Parts: sequence; C-alpha cells; structure tokens
Amino acid sequence: MKTLLFLLLPFIGLSQATIKGKITDKKGAVLPGANIQIEGSYDGASASEKGEYSFKTDELGDKILSVSMLGYKPTNKKIKIEKGEIQQDFILEESINTLNAVVITAGTFEASDEKKMVMLKPLDIVTTAGGGADITAVMQLLPGANRVGEQEGLYVRGGSANETKTVIDGMIVQNPFFSSTPDVPQRGRFSPFMFKGTAFSTGGYSAQYGQALSSVLLLQTQDKVSDASSLNLNANLAGLSASYTHKGSVNGTLFYSNLAPFLGLVKTNIDFEKIPEAIGASLTINENLTKNSTLKIYGTYSDNVSGLRIRSFDKPAESSVFSLRNKNFFSNASYRSTSEDGNWVFLSGFSYSYNKDLIKTGNDKGDRFDERTQGRVVLNRLFGSEKSNTISVGAEYHAIRSGNIFNQFDLNLKDNYSAVFTESEFYFTPKLAAKIGLRGEYTSVIDRFNVAPRISLAQKTGQYSQVSLAAGRFYQTPEKNYLYLNRTLNYELADHLILNYQRIKDNRTFRIEAFTKQYGQLVFEKTAFFDPNPYRFPTGTSDNSGKGFANGFDVFFRDQKTIKNADIWVTYSYLDTERKFRNYAAQVMPTFASKHNFSLVYKHFIPTIGLNVGATFTATSGRPVYEYGSDLKNPIWTPSFQNLSLATSYIKQVKKHFIVLYATLDNVLGRKNVFGYRYSSDGKQRFEVQPLVYRTFFCGVSWSIGKLDRKPREATLDMD
Amino acid sequence: MKRILLIVSILILKVSVLLAQNPNYAKAMEGLVTEIQSTRFGTTLQPQANKMERIAAAEKVEWLPNYWVAYCYMMESYVEKDDDKRDLLLDKADVFVANIEKMKVTNDETEVLKANIANARMAVSPSIRWMKYGSVVEKALENAKKINPKNPRITLLEAQGVFYTPEMFGGGKAKAKPVFEKAMQQFATFKPVSGMHPTWGEATAKWTLSKIAP
Repeated sequence: MKTLLFLLLPFIGLSQATIKGKITDKKGAVLPGANIQIEGSYDGASASEKGEYSFKTDELGDKILSVSMLGYKPTNKKIKIEKGEIQQDFILEESINTLNAVVITAGTFEASDEKKMVMLKPLDIVTTAGGGADITAVMQLLPGANRVGEQEGLYVRGGSANETKTVIDGMIVQNPFFSSTPDVPQRGRFSPFMFKGTAFSTGGYSAQYGQALSSVLLLQTQDKVSDASSLNLNANLAGLSASYTHKGSVNGTLFYSNLAPFLGLVKTNIDFEKIPEAIGASLTINENLTKNSTLKIYGTYSDNVSGLRIRSFDKPAESSVFSLRNKNFFSNASYRSTSEDGNWVFLSGFSYSYNKDLIKTGNDKGDRFDERTQGRVVLNRLFGSEKSNTISVGAEYHAIRSGNIFNQFDLNLKDNYSAVFTESEFYFTPKLAAKIGLRGEYTSVIDRFNVAPRISLAQKTGQYSQVSLAAGRFYQTPEKNYLYLNRTLNYELADHLILNYQRIKDNRTFRIEAFTKQYGQLVFEKTAFFDPNPYRFPTGTSDNSGKGFANGFDVFFRDQKTIKNADIWVTYSYLDTERKFRNYAAQVMPTFASKHNFSLVYKHFIPTIGLNVGATFTATSGRPVYEYGSDLKNPIWTPSFQNLSLATSYIKQVKKHFIVLYATLDNVLGRKNVFGYRYSSDGKQRFEVQPLVYRTFFCGVSWSIGKLDRKPREATLDMD
Repeated sequence: MKRILLIVSILILKVSVLLAQNPNYAKAMEGLVTEIQSTRFGTTLQPQANKMERIAAAEKVEWLPNYWVAYCYMMESYVEKDDDKRDLLLDKADVFVANIEKMKVTNDETEVLKANIANARMAVSPSIRWMKYGSVVEKALENAKKINPKNPRITLLEAQGVFYTPEMFGGGKAKAKPVFEKAMQQFATFKPVSGMHPTWGEATAKWTLSKIAP
C-alpha cells in the first residue's frame, strides 16, 4: 500500500500545472479580491492585495478560466492547461452600478425612498419646521424657489406659479391646491405620506412632461409594502381625520376640518365671515396583480366653505364679504407591468378631475369650474449592460373644459390637448451619460402644434462629484383668462440652459447650479394704464409680443454628519429676472420675484426620549411693487421677509399603539412681514398685504393602532 | 448480452454523470463552513466567499454553497462603511438567493437567510427602509417558523429585532432578554443535518445577552 502511494506521488506532482497572473482594471489599477476559477472545478484563487493570483491544478487540457469581481463585468478565457507554469493576466471592465454610475442631476432635486442620489426624503418634509407638513411649503425652502407669502404655488427661477405643474404618477393635477382666496395662501391637497418619491425640477426637465415653462413637481405614489391592517386617528387645532388600511392594499380616509380652534388662539389680520370648514373622503387601492404588474387607484372628494371680509380699498371704513364654496374631485389610476425578462416596462394611466368654485364678492356672483380627463401610455425598452440604457415612447391626451361665470358674463373653454414624446437615456461609459428627448404637442383651442427638444448630459468628475448640463425648449398654452377672450394666441415658450456641480460624500451634500432662461412669445395685454391688482380679469387686447429672461445661480449644502442625530441644510438662491408680459408695458422685474432667497433648516432627534426638535429660518429680499397707473420705471420695494419657525414632536409606542404629539410655532420673532400692496381704484390709497396671522401656534396628536413592529425614528409623523 | 452490457454501462455512465459530484465536495464544504462560522465579526469573508462561489459554480444542483456565498456577502455588508457598496454586496447576495430559488429549494435556513439579507438592507438606511424591508423580514421569519419552529436562528433574529428597536417603539433590552434566552435554549438542543449546514448564532446570542445582563 505504502509503495503504491509512493509510486503515485510523483505523478501527482508531475501532472500539476501552476496558473498565475495579475488582475487589473482598464487603467491598470490592481483589483484585490477578484475570484479566478477553472470552470467546473473547485480550483482557483483570490487575487492578492497586489492583484496577483497563483494556484496549482490537476485539471489539464482545454479549460475555461473565468474571473469575477464585485462591480466589474465577469470575463473568461479558453486556455490549454499543460504541466508547468501558465501566465494569464486579465483586464476587467467596470459594470454600471450605483457606485460608479453618473446620474443626471441638472435641474432636478430628487427625494425618494429608492434612488441612491437622494437629497430629501419624504419624511424630511414632515419634520421641517415652518413647512407645516405641506409638500409645496417645504419645496419653497429648496434652491430655485422664490418665496411668495400671499399666494399658493411654486414660483421657480423667475417663473409665475402657473409655470409649475404638479404631476402625480405621470398625470397632471389640475387643482393641486385648495381653491384660492384673495391674499390667503392655500395648502396643497395631498399629504406627503401618499408619496414614496418627490422630484422637484427647477428646469430642463424630461420630454415626458410638458405644459410648464419653469418647473414640474413630480410625485410618485407609494407602492404596496405590507399586508398589515391599521387604523390611524388624527386630531389637531384645524380638524380631525380617521384612516383605515385593510391588509396593506385598501385605504379609506375621512376628514373634517374647521379652523375655529386655530384661529381662536390668535389675532388674525383678516376677518372671517365664515371660518373655513371642509369635509372630505379618499379611497386608495394599491394591489400587486402579479409578480410583475401593479395597479393603483386613488380617488378623493372634498367640499370646502369659507368667507372672508375684505376691506374696500376705495372706502376704508367699508368692507365686503368674499365667500367661497369649493367642490373638488380627483381620481387617478395607473397600471404598470414589466416583462418577465425585465427588458420592457409598460405604464398606463387615466385620470379624471372636476373642480367647482362658487364665489360671491359683495353683490357680484362668480362661478368657476374646471374639468380634465386624461390618459397616458408609455413604453420603455431597457437594454445594455445592467439594463442601464432606456428608450421610451409615449403619448398623452387631455380633454379640458373650463368655465368662468361672472354676473352676466359666461365664458367657456374647450381644449383637446395631445402630445407624443420619445426619450432615450444612455451611458457611453459608467461615468458619462446622456438623455435626449423630443416632445410634440397639439392644442386644439388655439389650433397650434409645437415640437420641443430636450437634452441633458452628466459626467462624473471624481468618486463623489459630478457635473451635469441640461438644455431644452418648453412650451405652455396661454393662461385660460386670456384664452377666454382671444383664441388666436400662440404658445408661450422658454429656453433653459442649466449647469450643475454636485458632490456627495459621507452624508454631506454640496451642490451649485447656474442657469439662464429666455422667455419668448409671452402673452402681453395692452391696457390704457397699469392696474397692479393681481386678481384683475384681463380686458385689453392681447398678443404674443411679451418676452423676458431669468439668470442666476443657487447653492445648497446639507450636512447630516458633523452633529450626531442632526440634519442641517442651507440654501441660497440668486435671481436676476425681467419680463414684459400680462399687463406690464415694459420689461421689468415681476412682482413675485425676489433677488435673494436664503433658508437654514436645522433638525435634531434625541433618540433616548423620542423627541424631535427643529428650527427653520428664512429670509427673502424685498419684492418690487408697481404703483397704480405707473410707467413701471420706478418700483417701490417691500421690506425684506424674515421668518423663524420652531417645531417639535414626541413619539411613544405602547404595544400596538403608536402616538405622536407635535407642536409648531411660526414666526417666533413676531416680525410684521409685508407681502406687497393693494391700491384703491383711483390709485391714491395704498394698503399692505399682510399674512393671515403674524405668529401662529399649532399642535396636534396622531394615534395609530395596528401592527407597528420595527418602527424606527419619526416614522409616522403625520402632521395633516 | 453484449448489447445489454453496453446499455447498462451507458446508463451507469449517464447516471454517474448526473450525480457527478466532486469527491472532495463534503470535505471542502465542511472545512470552509467551519472557517466561515468561526471568523470573527469584522474580519472580511471575501476569500471564503470566493472559494464558496467556486464550489457553487461547479456544483450546480447544490443549494448549500449558494447559501454560504449569500451569507458571506450579507455579513460583509455590515463590515463595509460605504452605503452604496453595502447595497452592491447585498445585490450580489441576492444573486445566490435567486440561484437557490431556481432550484426550487425552500427550507427554514433559506428563509432565515432572506430575513437576514432584508435586515442588512434595512441597516443601510433604517429610517427610510423599515417600511419596505421590515415586512420582508417578518414574512420570511413567519415562513421559516412554519417549516421548523425549533430553529434557533429564527428566534435569534426576532430577539435582535426587539433589541435594536428603540424602547419608545416597543423594543429595548429588557424586552429582548427573554427572547434571547429562548434562542439559547433552542441552540442547546439544535442538531445540524450535516457539517455543511449552518450552526451560527449561538455566540452572538450569548454576547448580546452579556450586554443585557445588569
């Protein structure tokens, strides 16, 4: 036996081969830890710190030697293994992954659960002091947004509020805010908790969207994540709500709001004839139909009433009542399916919305309504390494009806809007990406057609930094108030050019973006004299001779590292803008624009006692005001706006009960901010536009019952 | 007769090809499994992962090598500091879980592994990911319990879940203690099917209990 072994031993030695080599990337950097293997056998080795490997094998003959390494494309080579030493080096190519892939960031500010390059997450929205858990209010703290205190909406880089469109799962939301009342800004209709992701575009956005000269706010609704049932009850100074989720897929919510307790605490600058009161309900169905397809349906209805006493600017002792009743219905259904191999993604959506405002101002009766039915289909084809490249084609169709009745006047509008678009996003290398898109639109009410190109590029400049560029043309159908009287108008347009630099490392983000925007074909109205009333109805003849520009830059810094459990963001935006539009007879800075916008947000979580505290400071330089009948040459300026807000919340879980208490104090310093001026009809008297209240206190409680294991941090801080 | 012999020998050849397993399989596995399970937390498992991956590539019908590659990458994700890289490591772990699924193999250990990976995903960004991955962990542990309620690793993961949940959310050390103790009892009587099967967890349970004890 021993002799046999003895005889065999030399054979083993003789029949062995040694394979060795070096593994590097394309630039020659060594790749320690790479795995080298002879296919079908256990024989192989890991590359050393120097990227070198060496192993002995008995597997002689024609074999395949394969190499794999995390973050690189696997490769292999046919080799003939013979006794002795074989040298085989490999050069590996990087695969596209979250570590090395550049992301197009020019013009977009993304907040989502899934994307890695996130800036702001949905939870950040509700924990921001001064944001009031309102998506738009928090977006106003981001770079590019101009703060306007007396009206709702997002004013982006010199654009007016109606140049920003809110989009939910690809569908335009016609009435994203509660109906406007004079000089009292309204909240958004949607709770931040409905959405898994929020992308705020400050320009140069994708060809998938249109009809917004300045910006789109893209909201993506939550997916079904669990089968748990739960009940949530909320009470605060403005109302009550109850919400029940059945097995994670069906949610029903009822709410009643009444501002009486809130307004009772403080002295308001506006007298209410009827304290705002609302009742509403919503239903959400969220189901994963198969492994590769999902269906989401959302519907909501609300009915609001309010009445405010507005002083007469002509006879200051007198006042009249502005009363509003609003009925709003919004529904949205979307279906998504992915092919088995993941190469095709099909998206379709349908939405119907209806909004009616019954308005009485003194003895004048007004009645506004909007209705929009829209459908959308998009087909995406994914291809290339790690399916990182995409080609999309899509189409949308909207049937829009709107009307405005004012005493004896009855104005109506019917528009059929259709659009087709195609877009491709591809990686030349993991470090260089481009997105090219083209959008064509037809608007029946003006019988016009447009084609808008969009392009963006991004290049990684280091492991953590990148530059990105976006450019494109954007069209928008004129505002309906002009279309009621003039159907010969053409689209308004804007050309954007944006350059962005971003660096993200260790929970610190730095971002700087410069932009230039050229407006053309803006609607201009000839009037005999200048009337500064923003709520006026156009009366003069109109054409597309308006134009303008907006140039500027903004800086954003966020730090979640320096102070443990703290989150700090600092934003500064500079804006230089002028335009000739609406009833502006000359090209001047619009009244909603401000040159300097600054905000500082601080949040601190104290885990041991479950307490969250935060403060937000904002400052905005004065805005121009043009006096009644002025030639617009010498504006007067409002004082600068400043606000310091505090917020705190406390969370406690007892078995299946989860309780959140929260309180906010707005304008702590009690600064008497002025948003602008209103004039008497002879132009001789001037009145300040003041906030609803100078200093507000707000508090509430949220109570959830249900399966709530593993709930970390400020998870259900629902402040609505 | 010759023909019969030929057929028989072809059949034998075919069967043996089907069952062709490296004669070193069990030995190589046992050695490596011991190595993986005795590696101190914080030490890289990349070399072991590589070796295991080579075995997994050669033994296409065995779920255990795939289990251990996934396990190594899951553990490795806790050692890594860069969040993006942690996800990349877990993406790799998912590839091997998918391999096991393709073999139509499901048992208590593979379910515990899925829970483990979901936990690791959650650990990358807890406040954002708890919703998505919390329920994945729960579901996987539920499935595992249905198959083998006595598996101590199920109890260990449950105990860790309670331990790392802040007190105000119904977790905390005091509440975790009895669950860890239950896991310890289960570990005491647990017998693995073979030396290639997982036995890890007892040391972790013991260590955490020592942190809880006043």
